[in-house]
Amino acid sequence: MTPAKPCVVLIDDEERILRSLSMLLRGRYDVLATTNPVQVLDWVRQRPVHVVVSDQRMPTISGVDLLRQIREHSPRSMRLLLTGYADLAAVEAAVNDGEIFRFLEKPWDAAKLQEIVALAAQIAQADFERADAAPAVPIAAATTHFGGVLVLDEDPGSAALVRSLLPASCPVATATTVEAAMALLEAQEYAVLVAELRHSSDDVIAALKLLKQASPRTLAVACSSLRDGRLLIDLINQGQVFRFLPKPLGKELLRRALLAALERHGELRHEPHRLRRHVVEAPRQVSLSGRVMDYLRRIRDQAKLRA
Amino acid sequence: MSTATPGLTRVPSGTSRSALAALLLPVKPLTPHCSVTQAGEHFLDPANTALLSLPIVDAGRVLGCITRHELMLRVYMQPYGRELHGRRAVTTIMDARPLTLSLNTTIEAAGQLIGQNLRRPITEDFVLLDDTGRYAGMGIVLDVLNALETKVSHNTQELEQAYRRLKASQHRLVQSEKLATLGQLVAGLAHEINTPLGYVQNNLGMTRDLLTPALSMLQAGAQVLDAALAGDAEELDQGLQRLADARNDCDPDQFADLIALLDDSLHGVAQIGDLVGNLKDFSRVDSAHSEGVDLHGLIDSALRIGGHLLKKRNVQVQCRYGEVPSLRCAPAQINQVLLNLIGNAAQAIEHDQGLLSIRTQSLGGYAMVAVQDNGRGIAAEVLPRIFEPFFTTKPVGQGTGLGLSICQQIVQAHGGRIAATSTPGVGTRFVVALPIARDTAVAR
Repeated sequence: MTPAKPCVVLIDDEERILRSLSMLLRGRYDVLATTNPVQVLDWVRQRPVHVVVSDQRMPTISGVDLLRQIREHSPRSMRLLLTGYADLAAVEAAVNDGEIFRFLEKPWDAAKLQEIVALAAQIAQADFERADAAPAVPIAAATTHFGGVLVLDEDPGSAALVRSLLPASCPVATATTVEAAMALLEAQEYAVLVAELRHSSDDVIAALKLLKQASPRTLAVACSSLRDGRLLIDLINQGQVFRFLPKPLGKELLRRALLAALERHGELRHEPHRLRRHVVEAPRQVSLSGRVMDYLRRIRDQAKLRA
Repeated sequence: MSTATPGLTRVPSGTSRSALAALLLPVKPLTPHCSVTQAGEHFLDPANTALLSLPIVDAGRVLGCITRHELMLRVYMQPYGRELHGRRAVTTIMDARPLTLSLNTTIEAAGQLIGQNLRRPITEDFVLLDDTGRYAGMGIVLDVLNALETKVSHNTQELEQAYRRLKASQHRLVQSEKLATLGQLVAGLAHEINTPLGYVQNNLGMTRDLLTPALSMLQAGAQVLDAALAGDAEELDQGLQRLADARNDCDPDQFADLIALLDDSLHGVAQIGDLVGNLKDFSRVDSAHSEGVDLHGLIDSALRIGGHLLKKRNVQVQCRYGEVPSLRCAPAQINQVLLNLIGNAAQAIEHDQGLLSIRTQSLGGYAMVAVQDNGRGIAAEVLPRIFEPFFTTKPVGQGTGLGLSICQQIVQAHGGRIAATSTPGVGTRFVVALPIARDTAVAR
């Protein structure tokens, strides 16, 4: 039985945060709050938990580690990280290990938090109901890679590295500008976009965010030598970037990221409803050329047709 | 630069400036057939006034040198010397083994060879040979000395410059160490402040939202009361209706929690105030000394500010404070030392049963602070080096290796001492001893 109200679990080592958030959320949700990480794992095993909001810095476990364990026990639960200070390591781990839905910062904006929790709860509720109706059939690992990989980087070395890591059956295309990448994405669907965030002339970050809105199925593997926690938070919340890899690229890390992305793309093609789990916030400001915006519009139209 | 020798022009040389080639004098040599008298005349030639000796060369091969000194002693000052020797070939009284140096010889090497080979007082010059060992010209000892002096003063300048550059880069490193400490501090503080800020802001927002329906209920209640007192039945009906509506919008359960929320908020604001208050000790001008500083207060605020470092690893903190009189010290600097030791301890602890114990006592005119952790410890071969500047066991880029060196500088500048003992796998204990204010007052 699904409870009438969606269930939201809160965990923080500061009880006052729990009291405050419980009061904010208890009108609309069945709120469970605790300072004990083990308790959270018990809850997600025992009952449907739609949303988990976790602090990052706790004495016995980091929020990212806890959310990863929650993901294993209850993959349908939407995971949100609420943290007082966004250190880069935490944000990187949040993307790569936690695959979290949103990265929230203390002090939070109550209205925005409500909005995000509501969206997360709605998505999770739909997933839980679908699962109840038809138990999940495990998808066979995609044997043929649909769509291939597009590499956007001014440095041709990245594309060569990607090519060397993938089987010959998986096409790899390359572009050195945002516009060229968009033209390729309009011509055909790519499963994965590997993009260097730093570009001599183009705003790659804005392009990634808008591309996620236009073509949510395309998974972005961002890579860069930029080490900026703030920028990454935006890439999670507004770009749902699938992985973030620091440059210089490590072969094994990149290979695993590519294979995971290709597999996830296959899953998303089979279960398009899961795309909802990757919806993004609108970026605050965008400076992209009219031509790029035109491409994005056409990419969006095609993505809708495919879906 | 080098002093010009009168009457002779220097030959510009393609070889390195630091070699003897720069000092080459293209002296026209004597032939083996030249007589002693003719040799004496050559010395009188204005072109040769600077020379102490003249070479005798046969087809590029240096046979020897004749010196003014020898000529004087053996020919001019001897009775009948000119008559006896004047017509003989110069080769008969020459020195067949003069000092010969290659044009490539460096000034420094030449100086050494001259010192080792020439007789004192110096009565001769030296012969310069080209690559093939043939006569190239003459060199003057005084020129070598001048060139050496120029070089030494140039080297001194270079050394001074290098020293200044080193000082500047060390200063930058000390600054970057401070910035790194500051960065850690800010990161920790942001987290410590944002948490209470989060719930205080949220609680105030919710309180505000609750007050709107509460206010309309209050107004409706007042209307009902007024109407009842005035005996106005119609007004009373209207009022009761409003009151009932307002009652529906108001959840009394939430009001019950309101007080708890406001208590939490007060607690949060006090916590923020406390943090900011503790920061004051850190923000004082670096080296400003204050009288009557409470050591325990400094430890408490260092723990408060560095608390997040310990919390991250769930380290338990035990403070056992003894009787310690107040100190005269620079609080910001002592805080930096304490914070550094606390940070190091937190980093050394890699397990879940972390324990940091801080003890104080006064002993022999010193206030002693012992900071002990049960972390991984420091290897015996590393321990003697931990206070050395730039010594670090952390990976490149993660530590400047200046933290403990700066701590030592600070403690020593206070007239105190810092020492460490450690057992690998068991833990490390740092002891800081600072002179007690009373003593410094007596000393003055």
